Amino acid sequence: MSRKPLEPPRLLLSAASLTNGRRVPRDRMIEVAERYREPESLAVTLSKALDAGAEGVLATPSPALDAALDELDRTIPIYAVLPDPDAQGRYDLQAGRLDPLEGTPGPAGLGARMARSWTRLTRPWPLMRRDFGVLVRMALEARVAAIPRRALRGVVIAAGITDLALAGRHRRFFEKLTRFIRGRFRARAAFETLNLGTLLACLREWEVRPDFVVGPVNPRGLMMKPGLAETLDEMAKSQVPVVASQLRATGLCTLDEGARFALEHGALGLAPDLAEMDDVGAELARIRGWREAKVPPRLEGAKRA
Amino acid sequence: MTVSGTVTRVGPRAAGESPRPQGPVRVAVVGLGRAGLAHATLLSAVPDCEIVALVDRRGEARARLRGLGYRAHAFGRVKKMLAVAKPQAVFVCGPQHERAAVAREALEAGAAVLVEHPFGVTLEQAEAVAAAGAERILASACALAFEPVFRRAHDLLEANLLGAVRQARSSMFVSRVFDARHPVFLEAGPVAGGVLAQVASELLFLLLWYLGLPVEVRATSQRIYGGLEDELHAMMKLANGTEMGLDCSWSVPGYPQPATVIELEGENGKLLVSDDGIEAELTQPRAGLAAGHTRIRSAELPHPAAFDWGGEAMYLMDAAFLAWATGGPAPPNRGSFAIEVHRVMDALYRSARAAGEPQAVTR
Repeated sequence: MSRKPLEPPRLLLSAASLTNGRRVPRDRMIEVAERYREPESLAVTLSKALDAGAEGVLATPSPALDAALDELDRTIPIYAVLPDPDAQGRYDLQAGRLDPLEGTPGPAGLGARMARSWTRLTRPWPLMRRDFGVLVRMALEARVAAIPRRALRGVVIAAGITDLALAGRHRRFFEKLTRFIRGRFRARAAFETLNLGTLLACLREWEVRPDFVVGPVNPRGLMMKPGLAETLDEMAKSQVPVVASQLRATGLCTLDEGARFALEHGALGLAPDLAEMDDVGAELARIRGWREAKVPPRLEGAKRA
Repeated sequence: MTVSGTVTRVGPRAAGESPRPQGPVRVAVVGLGRAGLAHATLLSAVPDCEIVALVDRRGEARARLRGLGYRAHAFGRVKKMLAVAKPQAVFVCGPQHERAAVAREALEAGAAVLVEHPFGVTLEQAEAVAAAGAERILASACALAFEPVFRRAHDLLEANLLGAVRQARSSMFVSRVFDARHPVFLEAGPVAGGVLAQVASELLFLLLWYLGLPVEVRATSQRIYGGLEDELHAMMKLANGTEMGLDCSWSVPGYPQPATVIELEGENGKLLVSDDGIEAELTQPRAGLAAGHTRIRSAELPHPAAFDWGGEAMYLMDAAFLAWATGGPAPPNRGSFAIEVHRVMDALYRSARAAGEPQAVTR
């Protein structure tokens, strides 16, 4: 019997607002934090999301998420957004700090420690050169080991890390991490970005094809860099599937408008966030039928056996 | 293989209203910690900007930038870099106690200079940098002034939205320091101060940019965890009698992201500006806003930066500075204004040391 091809996800529930409030207005951030303070509440929402057609949860593993998953007696497929260093950006108050990955939790368990030691042993030269790809690989080895193998469907490199490598035009970072994630974790390899148009253009130029990329797509063009037109142009040409996030442009449009817009402009999947929906089950159920039934020919290469 | 039309090594096309250099510009980044990395990340996306040199005494820092893909020549010393790479613009991002000397060196070499704030540990150091930059292109980092929402508020106030402002209150909170072992207390050299100098000086900049320079200030501060102030409360009086209040803390829970709020009350109504938007309550229609309540959400404003890393503002600040360095208009964070902010900050610290005694702002 032939195995079903590994396709990119079409509908994910994003839980980015639980860990990254920057993309959500402050009053909404407080509301979401309050709503999901209890693990039971998050667990119910995750379960409803799956019942409504979501193929998994796009989230950075956190104690809150772990507690919610522990509440459930079903496996929730995880697309883990990693690595997760300390808060970055302005006012981090450690301007002299050198390591962008500082704050990433260390390896949990013997397996993760051994994997990390093996990488240290076998890649002394890239480590000595502080190759960012190898440093991120080690951070992933430390974090992914804590996620149950049966739940892990994909590893998505977090936007703050992807965009650093993108700015340095670090082709090998994307090439090697894609290969590494697929090989080591037997999971889909993806990149989250806040510069979707720029990333798609670079991936096309470099002929690098991760399983998918996650980035903002909405009719207002909010957070679509370098600009709305350029991003849509790249999405139309891209051979890498796009899973659209920030569909509601922080509330300027409805989820329906955002989802329709993203799908009409070439996004293959959707990843609405907890903060973008009041009734997760009902809203996901409404947009689940809008997804293309088949992967378009342009993206056929994205299927992997 | 088709090569992208939008992305090249010199950067993607900028969206509509984004500032950009007037021509090709050669840039150096001095200090390759988090701040230097942030500038390098964004500069690599500014059209016509070429990073020609990266400087840090620490080999580890230079190696990490190379490991990120940067191929610019890396130097261990500023003097050598200035002589060899001859950059037209220098971003000074090293430790606070080194910034003033590096900025002066770069200015003397004829480069345009943007210095991370504060640009001197003491007012004397900052005055010396400002004097060296008086006839040259000198700016101090203040990304908040480039946030579309705060920029728009400035435009509205300049269009006399409120008429004469009677009172202003403001706050800036962020949850960062909850431990005496926090790295902010472990800087290698002296620093200008705590939460005011390192975080809320941007809010102070906005207040002064919006309303003008105070003549007298008073402040009280609290040290909770270490030798720097963790909280500061200030009142500032303008020449016309208007009072401006400022509260700031980096030790308050519930603010994983920094939150800035400015409330203004004038003869034509009230204005509230925050990271999330602008709310106006006007008696008379003015500056394009109707009478009554108007809300402009931050997301509704143009966000023209061509690259996002940690938000929109820092890209816009860097691009605007390079526009100025290549013959464009001066940005709000030019050195001649930034030194005024430093003088007010110095007066606030004097007052805090004197248990809230009013202090005159030096000119």
